[in-house]
Amino acid sequence: MDSPTTNNHNHIHTHHLNGASTISQPSKKPKLLSSSFITPAEIHEEFSHHDPSVARINNGSFGCCPASVIAAQHRSQLHYLRQPDNFYFNELKKGILQSRTIIKDLVNAKHVDEISIVDNATTAAAIVLQHTAWSFHEGTFQKGDVVLMLHYAYGAVKKSMEAYVTRAGGHVIEVPLPFPVASNEEIVREFRKALERGKSEGKRIRLAVIDHVTSMPCVVIPVKELVQICREEGVEKVFIDAAHSIGCVDVDMEEIGADFYTSNLHKWFFCPPSIAFLYTRKIPKGGSELHHPVVSHEYGNGLAVESAWIGTRDYSAQLVVPAALEFVNRFQGGIEGIKKRNHDAVVEMGEMLAQSWGTHLGSPPDMCGSMIMVGLPTSLGIACDDDALGLRVHLREQFGVEVPIYYRPPRDGEVGCVTGYARISHQVYNKVDDYHKFRDAVNQLVNNVSKSFKVVL
Amino acid sequence: MATHNNHLNGDAISNRHVSKKPKLAPTAAVAVITEDDLHSEFSHHDPAVARINNGSFGCCPASVIAAQRRWQLLNLRQPDHFYFNELKKGILHSRTIIKDLVNAEHVDEISIVDNATTAAAVVLQQTAWAFHEGRFQKGVDAVVMLHYAYGSVKKSVEAYVSRAGGDVIQVPLPFPLTSPNEIITEFRCALERAKSGGKTVRLAVIDHVTSMPSVVIPVKELVRICREESVDKVFVDAAHGIGCTSVDMQEIGADFYTSNLHKWFFCPPSIAFLYSRKNSSSCDLHHPVVSHEYGNGLAVESAWIGNRDYSAQLVVPDVLEFVNRFEGGIQGIKRRNHEKVVEMGQMLAAAWGTHLGSPPEMCASMAMVGLPACLGIRCDLDVARLRTHLRDEFGVEVPIYFRAPAAAISAGDVVTGYARISYQVYNKVEDYYKFRDAVDQLVNSGFTCAQLST
Repeated sequence: MDSPTTNNHNHIHTHHLNGASTISQPSKKPKLLSSSFITPAEIHEEFSHHDPSVARINNGSFGCCPASVIAAQHRSQLHYLRQPDNFYFNELKKGILQSRTIIKDLVNAKHVDEISIVDNATTAAAIVLQHTAWSFHEGTFQKGDVVLMLHYAYGAVKKSMEAYVTRAGGHVIEVPLPFPVASNEEIVREFRKALERGKSEGKRIRLAVIDHVTSMPCVVIPVKELVQICREEGVEKVFIDAAHSIGCVDVDMEEIGADFYTSNLHKWFFCPPSIAFLYTRKIPKGGSELHHPVVSHEYGNGLAVESAWIGTRDYSAQLVVPAALEFVNRFQGGIEGIKKRNHDAVVEMGEMLAQSWGTHLGSPPDMCGSMIMVGLPTSLGIACDDDALGLRVHLREQFGVEVPIYYRPPRDGEVGCVTGYARISHQVYNKVDDYHKFRDAVNQLVNNVSKSFKVVL
Repeated sequence: MATHNNHLNGDAISNRHVSKKPKLAPTAAVAVITEDDLHSEFSHHDPAVARINNGSFGCCPASVIAAQRRWQLLNLRQPDHFYFNELKKGILHSRTIIKDLVNAEHVDEISIVDNATTAAAVVLQQTAWAFHEGRFQKGVDAVVMLHYAYGSVKKSVEAYVSRAGGDVIQVPLPFPLTSPNEIITEFRCALERAKSGGKTVRLAVIDHVTSMPSVVIPVKELVRICREESVDKVFVDAAHGIGCTSVDMQEIGADFYTSNLHKWFFCPPSIAFLYSRKNSSSCDLHHPVVSHEYGNGLAVESAWIGNRDYSAQLVVPDVLEFVNRFEGGIQGIKRRNHEKVVEMGQMLAAAWGTHLGSPPEMCASMAMVGLPACLGIRCDLDVARLRTHLRDEFGVEVPIYFRAPAAAISAGDVVTGYARISYQVYNKVEDYYKFRDAVDQLVNSGFTCAQLST
């Protein structure tokens, strides 16, 4: 964890107090003027609203938001409520543009036009897939043309595919992925096979939807390589669903080279619920545009402008990106430093747990970001999804541990294998004790197998 | 009486007793709100501004803001627990209160969405699918809407109906108006036009209260005419409905009805409900943001559209409490707002020598007041600039509508600008005097909008 010395605020950006808005450009890189960074006491203070009785090792699901950013959000909300007309006409657009500009720099996009802000990755998926549906309706795509996705794609994205692609006549092909997984090659191999399958049916592959970091089970996908393969194999467009990425893995639009890319900022970038960005690569000649499904008077002015006004709502979570950047820059190395330390810590904790329970990690450390899958003892007897959920509830209610559990069905011929994996996260507020608490809880359950959690259900 | 505890420190929400019918008046246990309390509830409003535009963005009292904060903190404290144990119950509670408020038959008919703009997208997306999937015929089937439909709704019709191959028929409406019959006549004409053009009207989109210019539309009659003329479905866009006009789903009889709760029902931004009458096609409504709840019905889909802040949708019980501190509850508030806005409108019209844009019975809590012709309002840009001028130079917040002269008459003789004044519980007579005096000052100084073109 961090070892800072004195209190220091190396930022040049002022808060939006009482309507005194600034469009100062917050520094992308943390200042190195002095060696003082946020202290452990300050970190504790920033997250003192977290329930202290819970070992909160699930940052991956809902993220977190420090007190100083919550305060910035409250100021923004009050600023609006004070005089909403003035806010709408004079503040909102500037604020959204400022957030978009910061994000553009963070993700190395070429142009701020390429960055739209939406509620969450789920919304971004709906935008991209609704566009796909229109392409089928309007004859740009032929019925039976293929859209590819990973078998481990997020539940909401799978449903979005059903709602927009299958319903419009597209053919969805899922790429099966192994888990546990030992190397990127295993993923690349399956991906290539799925592409072959898609092409062999004589149809065009119009879109590949690829997770940057899958949700459950959680592994980092080699997206740059897969995007390259897509280009080689004539896949028309690639959409990266990176719900977990910004603040969790490296996010560089030029490096990755996708056409569409989305990531939440409330998971690993300390924004309040909820805010995500959708990157859409600028194309030299016009194709048909992406649209926000909630249509306002801004319809037709480009996705970024459409998304910045989808009717009267609370946009405050989208306006505090400068405050989140300030927070992040109080840490040594800024977001890069946080990412690296989270990764190192979660791997260390994962290995500690696996060793304690006599199990293993679900993937090698280099396929993890700030989350890792840790095998649970087989004696727990997790035999289905309900068991996994039951165990999670039991851990929450009886042990004060919050961690999602994944049920991994045995494959043919597998006997006595690990069928349950915990997805542990590490974020700046976590402590070693959180993971010890989890370790001890599971050991207690193992030792009391006769009083298993399943009976409790 | 909703005796729920405020959601402090994760106390179980299930302990709350959910009142089935909202009380319509304060009981002996709850005294009527005092002037001081009222002032305190809205002390966060900018005191330098005569805020006579509740219609655009609504308002939210301090006690409800506080309730919202508690919900937000409850989520941030332990979001997994919140998601699994609190959120669904809270949304259902809000939906149940709304169902009673609007006299819907079944809570399944009430979905909560962000705003009326979202509700329009939900309904119109269903229309687009009907064209795509051949249930509606391109070139034959049409959607009817009012010419004064809200800008976003017009764009939504373009994005989902026109783009999918549907025809769009607009109903021109006169303004100023002297009676609802003028609207009914135009509406019938438009349906006739559709019929004689060989079109089938699949959907009529009707405002309950138009935005600009603002008049109350006789929706009950129009729905009845739609049924007589075999219009498939009627969607009432009542962005301004709840807390502003009478909102009764059985009375009005529409298939779909939406209203914001952050405009006239004291909720924070933002929350609206979409009512969809129970029948076979209501299964086909979907929220455009698809989550794992897809297919479980619109209400369930809308209650989870990914990780977000749902707190504005959870404070409806607190808002009901606030509203019930007023004599007559929401009905009393509505009635008094209406009386005051008419009184203020007439005061202004008398002071300026102009007129109201519609008779009082076609106003709810908003009124259109003619501005002196000598101000020389010639176009939409003029009204935008005049509005900014009033805000910046006089501290008056009020939207202005440009009404093009019917014939080539010199602009100096005809009223071409109407201010849409609102009245809400925080307003005072002084707000309207400030506006009156500002306009008088402009008139006396020989001001014209041409001077604003810098």
